[in-house]
Amino acid sequence: MEHGDVNVIYSVEHQLPLVMYIGQYFFFTGLSAGSFVISVIATLLGRKEFKPIGKITAILAPALLVIAPINLILDLEQPLRFWHLFLYYNWTSPITYGSFLLTAYPIIGTIYAVMVYTNRQNAAKILGILGIPLAISVHGYTGFILALAKARALWNTAAMPTIFLVSAMVSGIGLVVIIAAVRWKWFDKKATPVQREGDKRLILQLAQFMAYVIMMDLFLVLSDILVLLTAHADAFEAGMLILTGNFAPLFVGVEIILGSIVPMILVLGPKSRKSLTAAVVASILVNIGVYAMRFVMVIGGQTIPLS
Amino acid sequence: MAEKKRYAMVIDVRRCIACHACTVACKAEMSVPLEVNTTWLKIVEKGTYPDTRRFWIPRLCNNCNDAICARNCPTQATYKREDGIVMVDQHRCIGCKYCIASCPYDVRYINPLKNIVQKCYFCSHRVDAGLMPACVESCPTRAMVFGDKNDSKSEVAQLLAANATVVIKKEMQTDPQVFYISADETAMSNIEEDINYYTEGAITKIRF
Repeated sequence: MEHGDVNVIYSVEHQLPLVMYIGQYFFFTGLSAGSFVISVIATLLGRKEFKPIGKITAILAPALLVIAPINLILDLEQPLRFWHLFLYYNWTSPITYGSFLLTAYPIIGTIYAVMVYTNRQNAAKILGILGIPLAISVHGYTGFILALAKARALWNTAAMPTIFLVSAMVSGIGLVVIIAAVRWKWFDKKATPVQREGDKRLILQLAQFMAYVIMMDLFLVLSDILVLLTAHADAFEAGMLILTGNFAPLFVGVEIILGSIVPMILVLGPKSRKSLTAAVVASILVNIGVYAMRFVMVIGGQTIPLS
Repeated sequence: MAEKKRYAMVIDVRRCIACHACTVACKAEMSVPLEVNTTWLKIVEKGTYPDTRRFWIPRLCNNCNDAICARNCPTQATYKREDGIVMVDQHRCIGCKYCIASCPYDVRYINPLKNIVQKCYFCSHRVDAGLMPACVESCPTRAMVFGDKNDSKSEVAQLLAANATVVIKKEMQTDPQVFYISADETAMSNIEEDINYYTEGAITKIRF
């Protein structure tokens, strides 16, 4: 109460620049990067029971990365000028890193998928190792897009790229679990009962791995919130906005409780850990939670007035 | 000796009578569409009746020396001129709006008619022709003063030398070039504990 009552009588606030197209783009690149990493891990380990998952994810990664940039171009005010990004690049802008990464990564991803499907193991391994840094940077740079826009207190933190990468892993594994479970249920009738049992165990293991990555994500979010609440005034405002303000239902309710804690209990809980249904429900919840996280970050970060 | 030109503006808030002439002049000069503003007056009211008072500051682009918008523009559509004015090339801008998201001062906007990003250019076309920016020209109390900061004979340099000046959000490390004399801290800052906004909040302006 330094000044008593303060009323802003008149000021101009311009419309939010980045809308949910950007959030969706973050979500899709996250899914793509997550599934690519899973695919490469499966290929590198080279065990026979990992093959189906390696193949599904190899095709998912480039497919999702075709959807993702469509969101970006739709978001432009002048979509037909998108080629300016390549002709008039600016190396200090994170969007420029992105426009080149988004070109290179789907190419490597597609060649990698062809190698996996034609069973050329060595070529697939080399391309996979080359592709992992690309996959990480194609999603990590989206964190830099937010972190380097220094006006917004919610975005301007060094933890942002890591938070994005870890949540991308979570949602990517979630998607793989869903698709592998659908395949196991309806499209895997030819396999022997022993194989089916092994596949099921593999899906459950993947879901448990997801739960451990969720723990890491929760730790990062907690440290981000703690620093926001003890840093300068704008950051405090941003922290309160997502903890108690307009975005609290989405952040605390959907992202933290529904999207992280409930899936963790479902996957690791003693009763439900053997159930494939629980793993699938947990994966769907996780993806809803990560989508909510993108919404809270992109839209919520911009709602704090700047002037 | 001859240093490079560096255009800057000094706004003496003690002289400002909040007549909005700068807002109107800017709208007319730059053909600014409805819904958006390049120059405007921020007005806050402090205290409870009967101990109240209004404070205000004219707001416009700071044409920062270390402009985050120019650094983050992916197509170099936003660039800094030799004399320090930050420009937007309207034929190169793709409208990715990243500059608006990075600007700490909310002075950039999407022109709803041209579908590109625009801002205040210190009326570069008038400055190049040897005239003053429209807002400065229209100010009835001469509260706004514009000129070359590096020319010690200019009114801007003398005002800067003789007065205590402040800039908006110095902590953003952008080196703003619009200086205020006797500006109120509450009117300059965006966050206050018990602030009540009577303007239309940004959240209601999301377009899909």
